[in-house]
Amino acid sequence: MSAPGIPLKESTIPASAASDVEQVERALIDASTRVPVLMFYASAIIWLLIGTVMAGFVSFKLHAPDWLSDIGPLTWGRMRPAHMNVMVYGWASMAAMGTGIWIMARLCRTTLRHPLLLVAGGGFWNLGVLLGVSGILLGQSTGYQWLEFPPYAAVVLFVAYLLIMSWAVLMFRFRYGEQIYITQWYLLGAFLWFPWLYAAAQLMLFVVPVQGVLQAAVTCWYANNLLFLWLGAIALGIAYYMIPKVIGRPVYSYHLAAIGFWTFALFSSWMGMQRLVDGPFPAWMITASIAATILALVPVATVGLNHHMTMQGYFPLMRYSPTLRFTVFGAMSYTVFSVVGVLISLRSIARYVNFSQASIAYSHLGLYAFVTMTLFGSMYYIVPRLVGREWRYASLIKLHFWGSAYGIGLMTLMLLAGGLAQGINQDTPSLPFIESVQTIEPYLRGRSLSGILLTFAHFIFAFHFGLMLLGLGRASTVPTFLNPVETEGSEVHL
Amino acid sequence: MKGLAPLLLGIFGTFAFSWAGLTLIPNMQIGQLSPQSDEEGTDIYPMPPSGMVDRGRHVYAANGCAYCHSVWLRPEYAANDLERDRDYAPKLPWGVRRSAPRDYIFDRPVLLGKERMGPDLANMGKAAPSEEEAAPAASPTPTPSPAKLAQETYTAAWHHRHLYSPRSINIDSNMPAYRFLYRKRPIGGERSADALELTGDDAPPAGWEIVPTFDAQCLVAYLMSLDQSHPLSEVKSGAPPAGPVASPAAPPPSPKAPTASPATSPPPAK
Repeated sequence: MSAPGIPLKESTIPASAASDVEQVERALIDASTRVPVLMFYASAIIWLLIGTVMAGFVSFKLHAPDWLSDIGPLTWGRMRPAHMNVMVYGWASMAAMGTGIWIMARLCRTTLRHPLLLVAGGGFWNLGVLLGVSGILLGQSTGYQWLEFPPYAAVVLFVAYLLIMSWAVLMFRFRYGEQIYITQWYLLGAFLWFPWLYAAAQLMLFVVPVQGVLQAAVTCWYANNLLFLWLGAIALGIAYYMIPKVIGRPVYSYHLAAIGFWTFALFSSWMGMQRLVDGPFPAWMITASIAATILALVPVATVGLNHHMTMQGYFPLMRYSPTLRFTVFGAMSYTVFSVVGVLISLRSIARYVNFSQASIAYSHLGLYAFVTMTLFGSMYYIVPRLVGREWRYASLIKLHFWGSAYGIGLMTLMLLAGGLAQGINQDTPSLPFIESVQTIEPYLRGRSLSGILLTFAHFIFAFHFGLMLLGLGRASTVPTFLNPVETEGSEVHL
Repeated sequence: MKGLAPLLLGIFGTFAFSWAGLTLIPNMQIGQLSPQSDEEGTDIYPMPPSGMVDRGRHVYAANGCAYCHSVWLRPEYAANDLERDRDYAPKLPWGVRRSAPRDYIFDRPVLLGKERMGPDLANMGKAAPSEEEAAPAASPTPTPSPAKLAQETYTAAWHHRHLYSPRSINIDSNMPAYRFLYRKRPIGGERSADALELTGDDAPPAGWEIVPTFDAQCLVAYLMSLDQSHPLSEVKSGAPPAGPVASPAAPPPSPKAPTASPATSPPPAK
C-alpha cells in the first residue's frame, strides 16, 4: 500500500464535501448504535463516579488509617481492590466497548443489527461488575490482583462479554469494502484478546489451578495484558481514528502503523513479570519481561512518530477541539507511561522502587493518563453524534480537561518522587522500616490532593454528560469549541 | 493490510506466544514441585497447611493484606532484604535466605504481594519467641501481664493486639485496624483466656472484654505459620546451619528444573 492511497476514505473527506449518500449512511449507523452506546457510556460514567469515590477512601486512609476503619466493607484492604476493579471493568472496559462498537460500526460502514441484544449484554456486564464488587466488599475477594471478583461474578462477566463481542465481530463480518483500517486491527485484536486472556487466567487460577508461585505469574501476565492488549489496544485504536478524523488528514504512514501494531502485540504481551524481579521464579521469566519492556519502546516510538507526523502543523487545533486535546494527551501519555515503565523495570532501579508507590504511579499513568484520557476524547466526539446535540458548555470541558490533566500530573509526580524516597529507605537496612512509611506520608497527602482534582473533574464530566442525555445540549450544527474559532479552524471537521 | 487471514493469524499467534512463554513453559519447568525431604524421608519441607492456616490465608486475601505486605525475599545480591532486621526485634533479620518456588507449593491463593507499605512477612511465624513454640500452653495463662506482652513481640497475643490497634504498638504505623474481626462482649464469670490485653483508649469498659473471632484466630494462625527458614537444596542459605538435605527429590520435568531457580544463576557475589 503506497502512501498516497491511504485507506482513510472517510477521514480524508471533510464533512462538507461528503456526499449526501455518505451523510445518510453515517446518520443511519449512528441511529442504530445510539441506544447501546449511550447505555455503555452512562454505565461507565456511573462506575467512574463510584470508583472515584472509592479512590478517595483508598488515598485518604493511607494517611488517616483510623477513618471509618471499623466497618468491614470500608476497610482499606477491601476498598482498594474494589476501586481497581470498578475502574478496570466498570469504567474503562465499558467505555472502551462503547467506543469500540461505535467506531467499528462506522469503519465497517454497516448498521448495528438488533441493538437491544447488545443492551442486554451491557446489562449483564453491569450485573457482573456489581456482583464482583459486592463480593469484594463483603470479604470474598480471591486475592489475585485484577481478578479479585469471586468466580460467580467472573462467569457472569464472561457470558456478558461473549454476547457483546459477537456483535462487534458480526459487524466486521458484514463490513462494506475490502480495506481494513488501522483502528480495526486494534479493535479486532482487543475484542479477541480479551476473552482468550480472561478465560486463560480463570482456567489457570480456578479450574485447573497451577501450583504455587505460578499463580502469581499468571496474575501478572493477565494484569499486564489486560492493560495492554485490551484497554491499551482500544485506546491506541481510538487515537488512530480520532486524530486523523478531527484534523481531516490521513495518517502519516501506513507502514509505520503496521510495524507499530505488530511490535505492540508481540512485545507488550511479554511484559508483566518485571514486577516480580528477583522473586521466586526462574530468572529468565523476569529477564524476558524486562527485555520486552525495553523492546516495547519500538511500538511506542513508531506510534508516537506516526501521530506526531500526522499532527504536524495541526497542533494549534488542540486549542479548539476537545476530542483532539484529550486524545493527543492520551497518546502522549502512552509514551511517558512506557518510558516510566522501562525506568522502573531496570534491575538497578527496580531494586529500590519495586515495592514502593512508584508502581502505583505507573499503573495510573497507563490506566488514567493514557487509556482514560483517550476514552474521554472519544466520548467528546461520539456523544454529540448520538444525541443530536452539541456539548452545552465549553467551560465545563475545559475544567474537566485541566482537572484531569493537573490531577494525574500531580499524582504521578507525588508517587514517583515519594516512591523513590520510600524505596531507597526500604533498601537501607540501617533505618527502621517504619522510616520508609514516614517518608512517603507527605507525598500520600499530595496524592490525596490530586485525587480531589480528579474527583472534581469527573463530577463535572458526569454532569455535562447528564445534560446531553437529557437533550439539554446545544442545538447547533457547529461543534462546541474550547475557544472561539477565528478563521480557518472552522473548515476542519472538529 | 489486505486480507483478514494474516491479521487474525497474527492476533492469535502473538497471544499464543506470550501465553505459552510466560505461563505454559514456566509451568512445565516449576509447575510440579514436590516437598523436599532428607534421605530417610523425614524433615519434610514444606508441609501442607492446617485447616486454620488455610482459612487464615483467605482472610488475609479477602482483607487485602497483600496490597501492603509482601511474602517473598530477594537474594542478597539483588537487594538488602536479608540484611534488614524486624523493627520490634533488633537482630532478628527478615530472613536468612531468598524465597524459592518450592516455598509456595501448597499456597492457594499464593499471596506474594508486590508492595511494601508494611514489612515483609515471609518469616513472620519464625519471629515468634521460641519458648512460645516449645510450649504453646504458655500463652493461655489466665492473665499475662501487659508488661510481659510488651516485651514479647510477634506472639499470637501480640498479633491480635496489633491487628486490633496497630497504633498502640507504633504510633507511626498506617496499618488499618481490623476491629471488625474482633468482638466486644461482657465478661461472663471468668475472663476469656484469649481476651486482648489492651490499654488506654483501646481498653474496653470494665466488665467487658475484646475477643478475636474465628477469622481473626485463623488469620493469626496463618501469620504464625509463615516461615521460610528451612534450608532448601536449590537455595544458598545465609548464616544458619546448612541443612543435611541432599535433594535427590528433584522435581521431574527436566534436569534443569530445580536449579532453574534464579538463586543459582550468575550473581556477581558481593
